[in-house]
Amino acid sequence: MIIDIKNIVCRFGEIVALDDISLSVDHGEVVVILGPSGSGKSTLLRCLNALEEIQSGEINVDGFLIDRNHRQIHQIRLEVGMVFQQFNLFPHLTVIENVNLAQRVVRKRSRTEAARVSTELLNKVELADKTEAFPGQLSGGQKQRVAIARALAMNPKIMLFDEVTSALDPEMIGEVLEVMKQLAAEGMTMLIVTHEIGFAREVADRVIFIDEGKIVEQAAPRQFFTNPTNQRTKDFLAHVL
Amino acid sequence: MTWLAEQFGILSKIFYYLIQVVHWTVLISVLAYLLALICGLVFGIARISRNRFIRSIAGAYINVLRGVPLLVLIFFFYFGLGKFVNLDRFVAGVLAVGVCYGAYMAEIFRSGIEAIDYGQHEAAMSLGMTRWQTLRHIILPQSFRIVVAPGANEFIACLKDSSLVSIIGLRELTRAGREYANQYFLDFHTWLMVGIIYLIMTLTLTRLVKRLEKRFAIHGYGVTRHDN
Repeated sequence: MIIDIKNIVCRFGEIVALDDISLSVDHGEVVVILGPSGSGKSTLLRCLNALEEIQSGEINVDGFLIDRNHRQIHQIRLEVGMVFQQFNLFPHLTVIENVNLAQRVVRKRSRTEAARVSTELLNKVELADKTEAFPGQLSGGQKQRVAIARALAMNPKIMLFDEVTSALDPEMIGEVLEVMKQLAAEGMTMLIVTHEIGFAREVADRVIFIDEGKIVEQAAPRQFFTNPTNQRTKDFLAHVL
Repeated sequence: MTWLAEQFGILSKIFYYLIQVVHWTVLISVLAYLLALICGLVFGIARISRNRFIRSIAGAYINVLRGVPLLVLIFFFYFGLGKFVNLDRFVAGVLAVGVCYGAYMAEIFRSGIEAIDYGQHEAAMSLGMTRWQTLRHIILPQSFRIVVAPGANEFIACLKDSSLVSIIGLRELTRAGREYANQYFLDFHTWLMVGIIYLIMTLTLTRLVKRLEKRFAIHGYGVTRHDN
């Protein structure tokens, strides 16, 4: 078990975004999180990277702890890579500089070592010819692949994907999902918030349905999509399938 | 024709007189602006600190110094503080203009930092960068491109306002103009020439700012238009 979430509650003022959620994820497991908008699925991912504060409960990521007394935020962020819907590439840096930067200032790698890792990862996401381009010169799909390479460069043990294809044109979704499939096949532990049902069916080891801040249902994809037990899950699937 | 030549002769005489002190105007403005940059950066960042105490100190600095006329600040630094410490008029003048413009620069820097999308902070944090690393490597370099034009425009304003320090006897361009006018009763010609010299400097700087703006545009990123 690499992630162990126990009874976390996350509130924004009056709104309860996460209401007593517990979840554990194994090494190498690919978990897809589904749910209507505003259900708390993105908040759950963001809590795992300490981008949101939890009011109670605890999150344990590979031995590092976040709760009321322990805030090992920095260590946890080193374990966990995150990719955002809006890419959030650094527009003033070239592609390779985007991938280099945190390696240099956080991991304290040498210039040559960082460049070696970056080149390797950019090859992997098939952007070897774009290393000197600026983010503004790339397509959405290319940007998102750079963002994935940038997160991978920190050697995370877990990758979080927060609706990474939602801002993309349809013809670019495939190239990003392809990279994610490859990662899953290599055994990366992944938590994915997505609306790509076909992808979820193919890649997920487990599918989780969240509604109103609670986990309503979780099952293996075959079971989840063909034979859901909860009425809310059935309603949701009826809308998206 | 002789009248015109005469006028031209008078003006060029004044020009040569004034040009000998213009370096003081430049020096005062540059030093005051450097001070303003430092104050502006420190208080601009302090203004958005997570620490409420630091934030309110920066807020007080900005509001007080923007709310007081620069002329009063100059008097305060030279005559007021002069009661306790022996401040040279040059130092007092530079300090007054510098801290005053520092308050304006702080607001420019603050707005430049706040203009950066919050996703940039989140991306940097998710990569394990600290707040300072994020500020230094991600936020400030992008803010710099946003503040370069308004920030440089403050230098032009600073250069013009440096004329106010003439009041405490600092012999810069305006002061020298006053001396000349009083001595030769050539008020029209002298003030015309003083104005022209300021104008030459400010117009040159304006063109420079335009260039800077283009130079620091981000590739394919909203600051300037890209025609591909």
